Amino acid sequence: MSTDTDTVKPRRSPDKKAAAKKTAATKKAPANAGAGRKKAAARSKPVAQQVAARCEVLIIGAGFAGLGAAIRLRQQGIEDVIILERAGEVGGTWRDNTYPGAACDIPSNLYSFSFAQNPDWSRSFSGGPEILKYVHYLTDTYHLRPLIRFHENVASLSYDETRGVWRAVTGDKIFEGRSVIMAQGPLSNASLPDMPGIQTYQGHKIHSAMWDHDYDFTDKRVAVIGTGASGIQIIPELVKKAGFVKVFQRTPGWVLPRPDFQTPAWNRGLFRRFPASQDAMRKALFMFHESMALGIIWNSPLTRLIERIGKAHLRLQVKDRWLRRQLTPDFRIGCKRVLMSSDYYPALQKDNCKLITWPIARLSEKGIRTVEGIEHQFDCIVFATGFDVSHSGTPFPVSGIDGRQLNDEWSRGAQAYKSINVSGYPNLFMTFGPNSGPGHNSALVYMESQIDYAVRGIQALRDGNLKALNVKPDVQVAHNQAIQKRLAKTNWNSGCKSWYLTEDGFNATMYPGFATQFAKQMADLDLNDYELITAD
Amino acid sequence: MASIDLDKMLLKIKSTQWSLSDIDWDAPGAELITEEQWPKLKEFMADLMWIEHVGARAFAAMSKKAPNDTLKEIYSYFHAEEQRHANAEMALMKRWGMLDGDEIPEPNINLRLVIEWLDRYADEMPVYVLGTVVPMLEIALDGALCKFLLDTVDDPVCHQAFEKINDDESRHLGVGFSVMEMQGHGATYIKTVKMLAPLLDPRLLLGMASYAPLLNKMRDNIVALGLPEEKLYAAMEKFDKIGGRTADGRANPWFQIIRQHAKLVVNRSNRLYHTPVDALVRLTGHIPKRVLPAVPSWVKELTYRPAA
Ligand SMILES: Cc1cc2nc3c(=O)[nH]c(=O)nc-3n(C[C@H](O)[C@H](O)[C@H](O)COP(=O)(O)OP(=O)(O)OC[C@H]3O[C@@H](n4cnc5c(N)ncnc54)[C@H](O)[C@@H]3O)c2cc1C
Ligand SMILES: [Fe+2]
Ligand SMILES: [Fe+2]
Repeated sequence: MSTDTDTVKPRRSPDKKAAAKKTAATKKAPANAGAGRKKAAARSKPVAQQVAARCEVLIIGAGFAGLGAAIRLRQQGIEDVIILERAGEVGGTWRDNTYPGAACDIPSNLYSFSFAQNPDWSRSFSGGPEILKYVHYLTDTYHLRPLIRFHENVASLSYDETRGVWRAVTGDKIFEGRSVIMAQGPLSNASLPDMPGIQTYQGHKIHSAMWDHDYDFTDKRVAVIGTGASGIQIIPELVKKAGFVKVFQRTPGWVLPRPDFQTPAWNRGLFRRFPASQDAMRKALFMFHESMALGIIWNSPLTRLIERIGKAHLRLQVKDRWLRRQLTPDFRIGCKRVLMSSDYYPALQKDNCKLITWPIARLSEKGIRTVEGIEHQFDCIVFATGFDVSHSGTPFPVSGIDGRQLNDEWSRGAQAYKSINVSGYPNLFMTFGPNSGPGHNSALVYMESQIDYAVRGIQALRDGNLKALNVKPDVQVAHNQAIQKRLAKTNWNSGCKSWYLTEDGFNATMYPGFATQFAKQMADLDLNDYELITAD
Repeated sequence: MASIDLDKMLLKIKSTQWSLSDIDWDAPGAELITEEQWPKLKEFMADLMWIEHVGARAFAAMSKKAPNDTLKEIYSYFHAEEQRHANAEMALMKRWGMLDGDEIPEPNINLRLVIEWLDRYADEMPVYVLGTVVPMLEIALDGALCKFLLDTVDDPVCHQAFEKINDDESRHLGVGFSVMEMQGHGATYIKTVKMLAPLLDPRLLLGMASYAPLLNKMRDNIVALGLPEEKLYAAMEKFDKIGGRTADGRANPWFQIIRQHAKLVVNRSNRLYHTPVDALVRLTGHIPKRVLPAVPSWVKELTYRPAA
């Protein structure tokens, strides 16, 4: 065990080169990892025996974040990377959300990595298949496939302090890594909602994130439950095919028009020949979304202006007074995700579509019983009810130094340092950790700064021949006090309920500022914020 | 009775839901309606159904204005429950052969005016105005009318339906009076003045001008049915008794206004009130249909069919 058990106390001045080389050597380990450690494994009993692979960096998840992290690590010369992915393919969100109408609601030029721009987006807001194609393009261009272990569902993560190693347990295997990047996705777990009577319903059930492509909607009686980001994309498509569609809405959201158009050929040509022009486009889009933040994140005169645009959009598209009332949001814009669609309101008014705002009492054998006493009968119910998000839990148990449990520490709301590290969990980097959420800009913009921060941390471990980087508790506390203070002034904390908040109204989801500010927060990694644990 | 726990009430409401399909609308008993009863009952049921519908629209407005999320959700349930009552009453009419095909029966003109007012202005009214008027309408019209019905109709399906409806109503009243007390709590001079400010709002006067004749008109209808009007008054007095049971309730200026108004309604010898209001009833009776704007689209949501 002695090779990996670096018995070192926290020390300030890292003792470099020699050991740095050792790190570099262990870097090549995975290929022969098994062999080199057989003996040690035999001694320390069954667990170690099952270690399937060791590496410098373990990445969990092969969505945009996991793949992007692998690309950036490699660009820094960090090659010893393993990606654990529970599914059989890459793509995350865009592999799973294949419902009709799936598309991004941030312009494609911004919903892509700045270090791998695509001149060929066919539309201003690309559809799911095209985004998935881009993910595959990244995977293939950067030769990421060999790094990925598919069908490995991480069930737990634990830190071995003595050896300075993270251990990820999947179904029947163990993977070890000096560092871990958790990139399992903020919205990757979907399940049917816990509605009364859901087991009784005998018709077909489909969740938006697990679409059933074999089901033929032609002439069917269809219900859509939920009018969030997915619902409003699905409804216009279903209305084209189904016999009728009844839309069950609990609370109406703000809907802004989405100027979707095909990218003209000259434009694509321009981007291809002069990448600088695409950069400029991307910057312009970025600045546009940044300025929206002023109205969406904080209550400002711009808030009222954007609300006026939303209301005008509604008035223009919906003539009936009652329907308009049903669709008028009663919370400040920005409190929940702003919806973008130009075909949702028209779809609701088609002859074969109807908006139902009666509360749902229960599901019955044949359909949905609403409180006005009527049973609405369906062949199929589509659940566009969103994702399971946990504000205080982790997606799987994570235990750190001395066996501390992240779940316990987060029971009253998640907290981290700069959204990415948690004190007591050295070398663990999270994407979309606490208070990293973009409310108004591309998730990928935020993601890039998180990835680069993690890469910087991993680089520092290498350069300083460190065993571990552990963020100081007081630094983390100070960071969170500042964040919560700033959050108090935002629209999210203005008294409305949303999935951004815990039951007690604690906001562990959103970042209270511009994307530019977030990027600045993530731009430098100050080693003074960390306890540095050196390797001998 | 102290103020109720609204969170518990919401859970209770959610756990006691019923549907039209819980009732067998073709069960025997429809023949118990006598030929003599039939025409009057038809008119009565149509009015009753519309009153439920008015209540529904008022709750919809209150849901927008509710001071907290629990109350907001409770009101959105009550909105739907009133619609359910209207649907169930329409199903009874269907059962008794009182519907003209699939046509929704016409509301009387006073109801029609109230619907028009609600649709235009209710969303603008503060919650304490509707929060007082609605319990009054519920206790006087909804409550009293249902009771008359059960006293005169023997059809067991009717009794079955109204047992469920009355269960709902008791919760509506429980919440209604509790909220009136909440609004009266800590009444200071300033608060009272503020709460009375809408009296200067012409939109509210318009509302009063449709509310007052409605009560008189319903009284006339009850008399026409051969029922003693005292029963209506007894129900209205219940409003006074329950609403005024606590200091907070009495401190609510709107409770005082509605209560004083009820006294006027009940006192038939007060010419100063009844002469002009009855005149208004007669006058409104002459409003030609075509000058009224089209009924709002929510009205078309009514159905007697348990499944859709
Ligand atoms: C329908 C939809 C539309 C969206 N549109 C936009 C948009 O327009 N603009 C925008 O900015 N954002 C959008 N988002 C947000 C979106 O989630 C992010 O933009 C981004 O895709 C997140 O990427 P990710 O890699 O972090 O997570 P994911 O794409 O979810 O990838 C996570 C991966 O981890 C895997 N995984 C999860 N748990 C485990 C485990 N325990 N073990 C192993 N593997 C695991 C999953 O299978 C998945 O492949 C949208 C989200 C959804 C659901
Ligand atoms: Fe009722
Ligand atoms: Fe009622």
